[in-house]
Amino acid sequence: MVPIIEKLVLPVAIPIYERLVNSLKTRISFNQELLPIKIENLEKNAEKKLKFLKLKHQEKLLPYEIKAGVESEYLQEKYQFELAKIEDKYYWKNRIVKARAARKGIDANQDLEMLEKSKQNELAGLKAFYYPKDKDIKSYEEAKEVLDNEYREKVAQINQKLVQDIEKNQTLTQNKIEKYKKSLKIFEKRLAIYTAKKKAKYQIDDNTVLSIEGLSMYFGGLKAVDDLSFDVKEGEIFGLIGPNGAGKTTVFNCITRFYKPTMGEMYFKNAYDEVVFLNNKKVHNIIKEGIVRTFQNVEVVWELNIIDNLLVAAHTLYRSSFFGHMFNSKLLRQEERVMRKKAEKILEDLGLSAYKFAYPLGLPYGILKKIELARTLMANPKLIILDEPAAGLNEAETKDLAEVIKKIRSEYEATIFLVEHDMGLVMSICDTVCAISFGKKLAMGTPKEIQNNKTVQQAYLGGE
Amino acid sequence: MICKTEVCTDRRNKLKAITHHPYFGFFVITLLMLFVQFLRVVGVDIPNTLIRSFGITMIYIIVALGFSILLGYAGLASLGTAGFVGIGTYVLGYFTKNLELSIFLAIAVSIAGAIILGGIVGFISLRIEGMYLAIITLGLSEILNEVFKNAVNITNGTNGLGLDYSLVIFSKPIIVNHNTIFVFAAVVMFIMMILTLNIIKSPTGRAFLAMRNSTSAAQAMGVSILKYRLMAFIVSTVYALLGGIIYMSYISFSIPTTWNLAFSLNILAAVIVGGSQSIYGIVLGTFMIFGLNLGIFQQIPLFQENPAISVIFNGLLIVLVIMFYPGGLIRLVNKTYLKLKVFSKKLYQKWRVYRYGTDN
Repeated sequence: MVPIIEKLVLPVAIPIYERLVNSLKTRISFNQELLPIKIENLEKNAEKKLKFLKLKHQEKLLPYEIKAGVESEYLQEKYQFELAKIEDKYYWKNRIVKARAARKGIDANQDLEMLEKSKQNELAGLKAFYYPKDKDIKSYEEAKEVLDNEYREKVAQINQKLVQDIEKNQTLTQNKIEKYKKSLKIFEKRLAIYTAKKKAKYQIDDNTVLSIEGLSMYFGGLKAVDDLSFDVKEGEIFGLIGPNGAGKTTVFNCITRFYKPTMGEMYFKNAYDEVVFLNNKKVHNIIKEGIVRTFQNVEVVWELNIIDNLLVAAHTLYRSSFFGHMFNSKLLRQEERVMRKKAEKILEDLGLSAYKFAYPLGLPYGILKKIELARTLMANPKLIILDEPAAGLNEAETKDLAEVIKKIRSEYEATIFLVEHDMGLVMSICDTVCAISFGKKLAMGTPKEIQNNKTVQQAYLGGE
Repeated sequence: MICKTEVCTDRRNKLKAITHHPYFGFFVITLLMLFVQFLRVVGVDIPNTLIRSFGITMIYIIVALGFSILLGYAGLASLGTAGFVGIGTYVLGYFTKNLELSIFLAIAVSIAGAIILGGIVGFISLRIEGMYLAIITLGLSEILNEVFKNAVNITNGTNGLGLDYSLVIFSKPIIVNHNTIFVFAAVVMFIMMILTLNIIKSPTGRAFLAMRNSTSAAQAMGVSILKYRLMAFIVSTVYALLGGIIYMSYISFSIPTTWNLAFSLNILAAVIVGGSQSIYGIVLGTFMIFGLNLGIFQQIPLFQENPAISVIFNGLLIVLVIMFYPGGLIRLVNKTYLKLKVFSKKLYQKWRVYRYGTDN
């Protein structure tokens, strides 16, 4: 009886638990990323308030200072400002008089003298207003004490509130995260029990990310890929090369599930160190496991600016539902803030900040290729698949791209798998190269080994 | 002289936050609509047909908004709009006349119905694309039209279904004032504009655009084509049915010949003429296609005698817009606005030289 129930329940329960565990993990990371943004905003608001408060305080204190003849910094500033205002006013008035005189051919000297006189008058008035002769220090000191106390109290209030708010947010987030972690532990334990019961997991080597065994893809009678097997190791740059029509792109499309392979198995170790069987996955779910691909001819969304283009790739990371989107819910706004920050950071890392708000139409091809690379990073990838990244680029751009690819590998800890025709690029950046021809593997090894391999040379240059 | 102290800039920023708010434009449009109605209530003599044309245009704006999500964002062409709007009108008719149930219940039921209907069309759209999808939806619309003509019990056939301005708000049918429904329609239009803007600015809108650009790229980025095609059709169908319900409550009369191919094509024309990716563009386009015809052309005797002239005008408008402004008339508006800005700057410079003389 029990085994039957287990057989019925397990296939349903395991995916549910997996989904729960994944969503809890994303929730935890989301809250961790949101906290600094919240605190930053609070600090900004408090700073703004303090600035305004100081200004008000100085404005209130000013009449007493004038009366007492205390030359405070603010008073001097204000005096200079008023002075500049008057200068400016008379500069333009002078120009009006001169222009009119030039137009009508009259002598302007008389009017100019009049203006000069009234200007001197105003300046004298200003000085008399700001630096009066009779002084009254007593009332100033009293008023200053009262106002200063008021100001200090308000500043203390704002600061206290800021500290309180920050603490409140921190504790709230921590409580949330702890709650999530607690339930995560329970779910993970359950999941472990269930998965242990359900036969052995898929196994691949320890430091392997992607393992392909006996992959075949036939289009009718044409064998595009024929019994191909290779492993991609963690953290390496893996290049797949071959002459035209060797089936490189077909391999790509099989891994990313655009094609359903005729035969063969593909295993992938995802971001949570679980081995998944790729043959069962749907095209749009591949990205959730951590495999992101680019396209040969750049596929950006032309109607959106660059930063929104990056956000498209973060699509699977959003938890808010369609109704949340419709009513612009709080969760969505928070998520947008987190994602935008992440996108900005990635653009800065790749040196694309200048194009943040630009539209892709009209940007150079090299930049668009880099934007595609930046976009892959939005989805927290474990394996980035590049389909001919150097196609259509000139030499300088290709060199630049190689740098960017190396940077991505080292800073984002992603494995990179690329198909390329540009042998210079492949030989300079790849750790391992696999050469195929007519769907069959010719050789695999370091770039040097491949260069010296006889069969590869034959495949590229033809037989003797 | 402009005040440049911090207090002043702060005040100005607060004002800017209101006027530059994304919903402010919609609010202004709604206020303009309500202003026309207000003038009438105050006692200004505005012809009945003009008010009616404003009301109908507002209702069609709601339908066109749904259509723009489908065409401009998800990139799916459909000619089934007329059938869906027709369903909306008859649902309200049936609920008021036969069942005597509340209009809000009718709205809820029609939303549920729209989800099913939109889902069906969405599933069809997975296999068929482009022009063929338009043909299939056209067929669906024609089937619905035949149903309207022949289901005499519900729709009263080709004679048309009239409600005599009676509506069930809560429990019993009451006679509702024309003007109240006008205000109701304006409020619904305002809400639908906001919801549309929210959708197109959200991850859903971006997913629609990604799907429109390239389905394979969208899939590689985690956008499920099935889900988003269904969603696009469901959203546009809900908008259409809602438009139908408000139409029925405002005009109180629905006849199958209104819901024919010409209506679907006119909605398509309105979206294309205005600009399929701009909400303001859709408002403009709907006014050009429906508002001008209903409000102005039908007042002129020449057009009254030859109704074909307005059709010719619409056709000409579409041809001209597609030839010279593929992005819609809103592009023209934006361009002229920019040109005016440049022109006013130049004018200011000239005035400045006249008044102050050249710099040094």
